[in-house]
Amino acid sequence: MQDFLTYGIYGTAIFLMLLGVYAVLVKRNLIKIVIGLSILDSGLHLLFVAIGFISGGTAPIFSPMAIESANKMVDPVPQALVLTAIVIGFGVTAVALALVIRLYRHHNTINIDEIKNLKW
Amino acid sequence: MVIADPIYYIVLPLLTAFLLPLFGKLYKPLIGIIPGFVFLFLAYMSVILMIDIRPDNPIITKIAGWTPPFGINLVFSSFSGFIASLISIMGFLIWAYSYKFKKVGFDDSLKYFILLLLVVTGSIGIVLTGDIFNLFVFLEITGISAYALTALYRGRDGAEAAFKFLLIGAFASSMILLAIILLYTQVGTLNMAEISVRMHEVDLKIKVLIFILFFVGFGIEAEMFPLNGWVPDAYSQAPGPIAAVFAGMVAKAGIYALVRIIYLMFDLEGAFHLLLIMGVITMIIAEVVALRQEALRRMLAYSSIGQMGLIMIAFSFNTEQGVFAAIFLMFNHAIIKSLLFLTTSFLVYNTKTKLISDLDGFGKKMPLVSLLFGLGAFAIVGLPPFSGFWSKLYVLIAAANQHMEVIIALILSVSVVEIIYYFKVISRLYFRKASEEIPIQKPSLNSSIVMIVLGLIIISVGVYPDLITGLIENATTSLLNKDLYIEKILPGLAEIIN
Repeated sequence: MQDFLTYGIYGTAIFLMLLGVYAVLVKRNLIKIVIGLSILDSGLHLLFVAIGFISGGTAPIFSPMAIESANKMVDPVPQALVLTAIVIGFGVTAVALALVIRLYRHHNTINIDEIKNLKW
Repeated sequence: MVIADPIYYIVLPLLTAFLLPLFGKLYKPLIGIIPGFVFLFLAYMSVILMIDIRPDNPIITKIAGWTPPFGINLVFSSFSGFIASLISIMGFLIWAYSYKFKKVGFDDSLKYFILLLLVVTGSIGIVLTGDIFNLFVFLEITGISAYALTALYRGRDGAEAAFKFLLIGAFASSMILLAIILLYTQVGTLNMAEISVRMHEVDLKIKVLIFILFFVGFGIEAEMFPLNGWVPDAYSQAPGPIAAVFAGMVAKAGIYALVRIIYLMFDLEGAFHLLLIMGVITMIIAEVVALRQEALRRMLAYSSIGQMGLIMIAFSFNTEQGVFAAIFLMFNHAIIKSLLFLTTSFLVYNTKTKLISDLDGFGKKMPLVSLLFGLGAFAIVGLPPFSGFWSKLYVLIAAANQHMEVIIALILSVSVVEIIYYFKVISRLYFRKASEEIPIQKPSLNSSIVMIVLGLIIISVGVYPDLITGLIENATTSLLNKDLYIEKILPGLAEIIN
């Protein structure tokens, strides 16, 4: 059961990353490409949180009770970093969507094949 | 004595960027003036800090009082300080060039200055930070503000270039994040000095995988082939001075991060060979493609990629002379390419099509701008008595001492290609008759002064290279001596672990 959970989490993370890369490379719709970037980010975040996780661990806060179980504490660093990474991913997605709106107004399409004033 | 601490490089422009809309509400011209004061202070602080800095006493700032490796630290060493000073002085010059937009409204210039401050914050942050995840955060700050700057003008194809840039940039940052995650599982720390100490514990296969992920990720920012598809579009669609920002700051920060990773963190012998190969491919392809360009700014963008390739080649020698030449090249490329982009901005503005063939007879129409463009072109191809001559000479000497005759031949033949396409432009400027009389937009006083200052720097460094060789020698020593770097940040750690 424990192994199943671990492999499940890592497997999902890698699956999400590959799915995101697939969407970015294959889809021709700009919105779908942005969604792909977002999925790729989610996969990375899941992988990062999974690395710091100990099953049956406690919260990494020092209290009298936690001192005996200090070696069962979940690593807090990946969690802190994932929060930062989520915010960054949010920022990138927002800028990307703003650009998609600009492109749609300019070209009247969100198909990437029809937007090629510059050499792609 | 003013307060001078590396933390202000990050705090001051970041805070100003967020407060700028408020200043704009108070009094509109403030949005142009206040960034100027910030950049002036940063440039002044750089001078003060650089006077005292020596390779053996880097300034280490612990953010919020947390000692490394638990907290984030900024390292102002001879090398990182030199690049940070270069970026902040370029920031001041680019502000001075562009602080009065003639045609741009209040909203657009507000966005422009906010994003300019952010891009400077991010680039300097990449250079100064001693923490690998912090480096990722600053990379994203630089990236997001660079995407937005590319799309600043609505009329052009800026959004298209910016979207392309964003796709490549977001992909790069995912790779870097994945590399950081894998690295964290292997060494359990994010401090670059501690990573360097613990690197020998990591299994070779995983080490190579992490290295490749970092290499590709930072290679995009450093304009390395084949990851540089964003460069010509972003350079040609962004506002004029922003092309100078990309060449002078963003690309410099990218190559700095790449070099930090290779020299400090990974002790892989193959890394230098990989850098050499990629540098050679980048340089040759970019210069050959530049020859075929018809639009002036695309030509300069490809030439910029070629120069970055040359910098990579010089760094890949892994000798004192090679690193010296590479840092000299970074300095020259920042100054000369900025001058070329700033002058080109005026030349292109007065043509209808932005093509090189439209530039006939501009030497008479715009004497000052054409003269400075010519000066920049002479300097970048490496003619004496300009500064570009010395850096190219040092690269060749470093290659000769490594007995790399093929590389020397390649660099020289690529220089010939450079001469051909730059002189093609110059001959159009001076030796053709102007086709028609169209009204010319004269450069404003502040931008003329900035361009003349850049030109004077090029000539004076060319005549007296000793002006900056002392600083570059210190930077070289500081980069190559990684034990000293580790010892200064984490005293005694190396003995405990080994």
